[in-house]
Amino acid sequence: MTALPLADVNVEALGIFAIVLAMTLVITYWASKRVQTADGFWAAGRSITGFQNGLAISGDYLSAASFLGIAGLIYLYGFDGFLYSVGFLVAFLTVMFLLAERMRNAGKYTIADVLSFRLNQRPARTAAALGTLAVVAFYLIAQMVGAGVLIQALVGIDFSLAVLITGTFMLMYVIFGGMLATTWVQIIKAVLLMIGILVMSAFVLNRVGWNPIELFNRAEANTTAESTFSLGPGTYLDSPIDTMSLGLALVLGTAGLPHILMRFFTVPDAKAARSSVVYAIFIIGAFYILTTFIGFGARALLGEAGVTAAGSGGNLAAPNLAQFLGGGEGTFGGDLFLAIIAAVAFATILAVVAGLVLSASGAVAHDIWSNVIRNGQENEREEVWAARIAAVSIGAIAIVVAIVGGEGLNVSFMVGLAFAVAASANFPALLLALTWRRFNTTGAVTGVLVGVFSSIFLVIISPGVWPGPDSEGGLFGFYELANPGIISIPLGFIACVAGTLLSSSPAQERSFHELYVRSETGIGAERAVAH
Amino acid sequence: MATAAPKGGRAGAPEPAPDWEAIERSPEFQELVAAKRRFIVPATVFFLAWYLIFVALCGYAPDFMARSVYEGLTVGYVWALSQFVMVGVLGYAYLHRARTVFDPLADKVAEHAQRTFGSTDPGGRFTKDPATAPATTTPEVRR
Repeated sequence: MTALPLADVNVEALGIFAIVLAMTLVITYWASKRVQTADGFWAAGRSITGFQNGLAISGDYLSAASFLGIAGLIYLYGFDGFLYSVGFLVAFLTVMFLLAERMRNAGKYTIADVLSFRLNQRPARTAAALGTLAVVAFYLIAQMVGAGVLIQALVGIDFSLAVLITGTFMLMYVIFGGMLATTWVQIIKAVLLMIGILVMSAFVLNRVGWNPIELFNRAEANTTAESTFSLGPGTYLDSPIDTMSLGLALVLGTAGLPHILMRFFTVPDAKAARSSVVYAIFIIGAFYILTTFIGFGARALLGEAGVTAAGSGGNLAAPNLAQFLGGGEGTFGGDLFLAIIAAVAFATILAVVAGLVLSASGAVAHDIWSNVIRNGQENEREEVWAARIAAVSIGAIAIVVAIVGGEGLNVSFMVGLAFAVAASANFPALLLALTWRRFNTTGAVTGVLVGVFSSIFLVIISPGVWPGPDSEGGLFGFYELANPGIISIPLGFIACVAGTLLSSSPAQERSFHELYVRSETGIGAERAVAH
Repeated sequence: MATAAPKGGRAGAPEPAPDWEAIERSPEFQELVAAKRRFIVPATVFFLAWYLIFVALCGYAPDFMARSVYEGLTVGYVWALSQFVMVGVLGYAYLHRARTVFDPLADKVAEHAQRTFGSTDPGGRFTKDPATAPATTTPEVRR
């Protein structure tokens, strides 16, 4: 049932896919009439409530890598998969305490708005846009490849066609519906995902008498000598320093993800931004607890015999478990449950990629086009059109790269790289711009550049990439880190500080006093449009 | 940047910008940032420490983390679950502190600034909308 041939298309799955897609298209049509202005296109008119935004953040954040990837890792390796969940969740405290409200108060549509508030417009914006585009590039291509692989395996549509369909719908939401459509796609996806995982968890817990400890026991009992599964750490992440490096990138990376930070501009004020993080924390926390039940359930019920069928990285463990819980392969219940979970996974991917493309279009159209090339002459209609053109271009590039790079691209490695770049380039510059009085343009530019390039460079020379996936010891024998965070994040901060201290402070756009007062109090923050 | 100019050409000639430095020096603002710092700095140090110690032990003491607490439940899992509790508690505590302490202080800063500098509004809360202003203090926003 994995990697079905083209003829073997799953009809139930296709039907449910069609229903999900039809719903999203109705939303896009509704939203398309409301996104003529830049505020509407990028910030949904700042009309999203805290609760809605909490759902949308969850929808934006919980990618297929979170759902299928972590369930699969827990199934294959046990505890180490859960370690990812912990990092992904704790990261929201970083976002909440350090950035969410300050960004809402000081920014408009993009990360670059916050940086260029007190720094020189053109260099600061260009650097911030580069940071955004680097994160989005890796994350987006990873998600597109993941989409293609999953849809091919679950529904039986060819990889290239699956990527093309995903990319086309993603672009329709963004181009016609802007942030408003993207937000509602994310909300629907979050609701579908939570219902799907709740129902599956209930099925799993029902099998073990609703006793999670019994689930742990059965999972551990259902291993063989070849199993990598363990209730303790070290089976998947076997290098301590690499584990630290990954942990650091996870907990700081979220605070540099442009598509997540952009969501804070869609709510009316900082209070709503704050409450939306708390809603997101509870939704995402519940999700990751339930993912454990799915992963352990797969281990307890499918056992070692299901490893081959779960595919590389165990991505298909969750759908296979759904099929088993529904009655097994070939039964109506089994096929239906599989189809539902497949559709949920598809909706998950669509919501994430739409958010990513939207944030990249902000970097290109709002930052580079309007403010750097056109030097800040406000022309909202032009900016929205530039955003649409940018979205199409970025989307087309992502589709082509995903299809050409194909199934061989390692998805989790690219997601890890995206988090590393976000934590090393975007997070230090943003945090220092908001809190450090002396910070200046040179510091921001060097910080972002060093953050982006050091993390990419360290990944290229890491053992997993160079000279080849199975090589021992990497390009240079002494460098064995797979995750660059523990080096590149400090480098990003050091470059920000060094760039600042070593340069004479250039004339600034506006004073730190203004940014400081406005970001802490919300005085003068962008307001919701009247509706 | 767009917000530098007074928004929407409201009411004729551009008014002078507020004196941000004076607001920053005001005791109201200093009280706000001190109150925020008193919560955020210790909370951030605590959650990063609790998380990074957990990650470090996963890396360097896997046998300890794999020790059973109760049947299949290991030390590592209990610690990992404690992170979930920590996130929930700290998240809620911050929300509560913000609503009861930070927001009223921020409102005081805004009111003080408005008294001192008039309705110079670069596009936001300076001219506080009476319809939305009470929402900051009424318990109605508590969900």
